[in-house]
Amino acid sequence: MRPDWLRLVVHGYRAMAYVTGTMLCILVFVCIPVQVWGHNAAPADVVGTLHGFLYIVYIIVAFAMTRAVRMKIASPGTIIVLLAGTIPVLTFVVERWVTRRYITPALAGVTPSEQPVLR
Amino acid sequence: MTGGKPRPRWRFLVSPRWLAWHAFAVAAAWGMLWLGDWQFHRAESGNALSWAYTFEWPIFVIFGVVFWAKTIVDEWRHKGATDRRPARPASGDVVELPARAHTAAAVDDDAAADPELAAYNAYLARLNSRQAR
Repeated sequence: MRPDWLRLVVHGYRAMAYVTGTMLCILVFVCIPVQVWGHNAAPADVVGTLHGFLYIVYIIVAFAMTRAVRMKIASPGTIIVLLAGTIPVLTFVVERWVTRRYITPALAGVTPSEQPVLR
Repeated sequence: MTGGKPRPRWRFLVSPRWLAWHAFAVAAAWGMLWLGDWQFHRAESGNALSWAYTFEWPIFVIFGVVFWAKTIVDEWRHKGATDRRPARPASGDVVELPARAHTAAAVDDDAAADPELAAYNAYLARLNSRQAR
């Protein structure tokens, strides 16, 4: 794994985690209350659609990141990282956890040993 | 491949656990395609917002298929590495390097992804064989 690729993917993942997470928080904590109690669906429509497309970008970048830091595929960690973009606030928590557990060691050049995929 | 009873490398694909995983992948892909189709019909009947979801669901299907394929490739590589490892001949006059920082699988992965690293590994192997003489 080239270090510059690793760095690129990690920065991309962080940016998308914060952008997607913020958009989802706006959707859930502002737009949906406006839709339910304010009877105005327009903000939720716009932000919801925007979050949908941001999540596509997020899932691609996040998957590339899990590969770059050699997280086990089909492990709970990888699944949580990929799904975090659809659950409010979770992206922020998961980003910190992934940084501590995988990104920092990967940037320091430590390679976790290969593990079986499903077992 | 070691001696004895060589099991074909692809056999893991038909183990119960993997069959369940294949079934889940097919069900998930079918479900997402169905959702995309549903959104398409809603879009056609005048719900403009559904056009976005009409295109989003197929993208998620593609991602799911890629993810499923990657799990197979990973396990295939892992199996290949564990099969090859004991087959290495322990020749008398070759001095083995004391410790390996990487497992064989990790080295193979890196070599496939990075020609520079592959060249470096070849260089290390040359040095090792020269030292043995």
